[in-house]
Amino acid sequence: MTDNGSRAAAGRLSVAVLGAGLIGIDLMTKIARSDHLDLGLVVGRDQATSGLRQAHRFGVPVATGGVQSLVDSERPFDVVFDATSASSHAEHVEKLAPLGTMLIDLTPSRSGQMIFPTVNRADISAHRDLSMVSCGGQAAVPILHAISQIHEIDYIEVVTTAATLSIGRGTRMNLDEYVDTTQEAVRCFTGVADVKAILNISPARPPATFRVAMSLLGKDLTTDSLRSVVTAAAAEVRSFARGFEVKACTANDGKGFVAVEVTSSGDRVPSYAGNLDIINSAALLAAETYAADRLSMAGG
Amino acid sequence: MTETTSRDVAGDKPIQIHDPTLRDGHHAVRHSLGADQLRAYALAADAAGVPVVEVGHGNGLGASSLQVGRARLSDDEMLSLTRQALTNSKLAVFMLPGWGTIDDLKNAIAHDVDLVRIGTHCTESSLAERYLGFLREQGVEAHAVLLMSHMATPGKLAEHCARLVEFGATGVGIMDSAGHYLPTDVTERITAMCGAVDVPVMFHGHNNLGMAVANSVAAAEAGASILDACARGFGAGAGNTQLEALVPVLERVGYRTGIDLYRLLDAADVAERDLMPAPPKVDSISIVSGLAGVFSGFKTRVLDVSAREGVDPRDVFFELGRRQAVAGQEDLIVDVALALRGAGTGDRS
Repeated sequence: MTDNGSRAAAGRLSVAVLGAGLIGIDLMTKIARSDHLDLGLVVGRDQATSGLRQAHRFGVPVATGGVQSLVDSERPFDVVFDATSASSHAEHVEKLAPLGTMLIDLTPSRSGQMIFPTVNRADISAHRDLSMVSCGGQAAVPILHAISQIHEIDYIEVVTTAATLSIGRGTRMNLDEYVDTTQEAVRCFTGVADVKAILNISPARPPATFRVAMSLLGKDLTTDSLRSVVTAAAAEVRSFARGFEVKACTANDGKGFVAVEVTSSGDRVPSYAGNLDIINSAALLAAETYAADRLSMAGG
Repeated sequence: MTETTSRDVAGDKPIQIHDPTLRDGHHAVRHSLGADQLRAYALAADAAGVPVVEVGHGNGLGASSLQVGRARLSDDEMLSLTRQALTNSKLAVFMLPGWGTIDDLKNAIAHDVDLVRIGTHCTESSLAERYLGFLREQGVEAHAVLLMSHMATPGKLAEHCARLVEFGATGVGIMDSAGHYLPTDVTERITAMCGAVDVPVMFHGHNNLGMAVANSVAAAEAGASILDACARGFGAGAGNTQLEALVPVLERVGYRTGIDLYRLLDAADVAERDLMPAPPKVDSISIVSGLAGVFSGFKTRVLDVSAREGVDPRDVFFELGRRQAVAGQEDLIVDVALALRGAGTGDRS
């Protein structure tokens, strides 16, 4: 097959990963397993980085020219995963949108349509710039959205703890964007205005499993009412992120507390780095959903 | 012993006293200080010639939260009324990346803050890079402090301090957040840090094991030139280094603080009368938290949650230590208590 139209017809989309850090390289491994996506290029900054060396060993074509490598590509890619930095995403949209590329943004830039696959699947194919928000957002929003459907909530707080080894330089320089974007997503998907996001980095050895603790204020919260919706929402998330587990779910005196932990299902990241696994698994599911939608449109 | 005895031996080695009573003390009273309390102490500290007064929520700018405690006053209110109360003392704030953001720093700068401290866990100095760079661009004096420093070796702390200076810090230091150190631990660490940087080095003690003043003197003797201390030791758990004890001790050892003793004692009396139900003490639970190497600020939450779940708070502290919990991870307290109670309420059943 030689052109993207027939690729789409066959249900396979051409894909590139922009950014060869912890996120980009794990994503590469996940895309390679997909029945709907063909990984054509991994773009990094520097041939000598460990990410690009891993990609090369993995047998994927690599480039070092940033977004220009994608613009200069013989045929535009159907889907580009942006695993660079929040401040670079706008330029990537500007350069790639005219080519008809679907961008899936794993930086906390807050520019595209926010996607939580179990919450707003229908938005995926209607947009060309999708934001995966943040790792903490992917773990928290499905739970908080479910709770907000049945409870009147006055305040939400989301405290994320990630192991130091799972936090690359990009994230370390983007903590503010992480906080802002996560807060915005929680507001948007719960309708609660008063929201706070906090990020802790744990140095513990062995490394601490990725964890998101959510505290809520709401008069009618009870342990039983929370547990039924939280259990159901968690089961949905587990359909694409197997290591998603509820560790605590209680309510006392109008204050609810839910803690989840996410272990990685393998690939390029160790078990504790569920932060990388959940955002990448959500991004992959978004791309596959887009592929399936294109296929059904082409076929139908 | 008369007042002149200490004056006679007062030396000329300058030490800068940094007073976080109105920030760290908040941990002891669930972040509940009101406007009159802040104003009264800030005026008293200013009158005593305390060079730097730090104010804010216990975890710093932007940290009011259920996780640690919601502050009675907003950052804006705390900054503006403390700024007004200080004529000679510098106004300082504290910020933990991941809790506060650059917007919070901009807000503090708009309130004319003189000195900003960026804190990170002792092995996570890279989190400070962006904020120190921003403050340097803004021309604001920026120091960096490493929390829970007993969790890293002297060599590691020295390396992180050197990096913080590269990022733009014009002063670096360590906090003994768990009150775990003995004087020889402090001497080793401050010596290593002073060998690695050419900016002022700071030490911030906690009194869990009754060692805070001795540890601070050890820090000075090893080359630290900024020491933190709070009136009556006002702070989390067993409290911080006691300011009005540290200052005359330093003067006797041969350092010059520039602080007026009588007015300092007056300020400490104001603090005891106006800021706290009772001065911090080295109680049983604080000793356990110091031995376990857990942040003293966890104390009130550990006591609350342990009482609710019917578990021994001492067990909770030792288990948090085993899990290497760091400052900010208060959400672990509930999990630890539930695990100890032996009845998980998660969905694993």
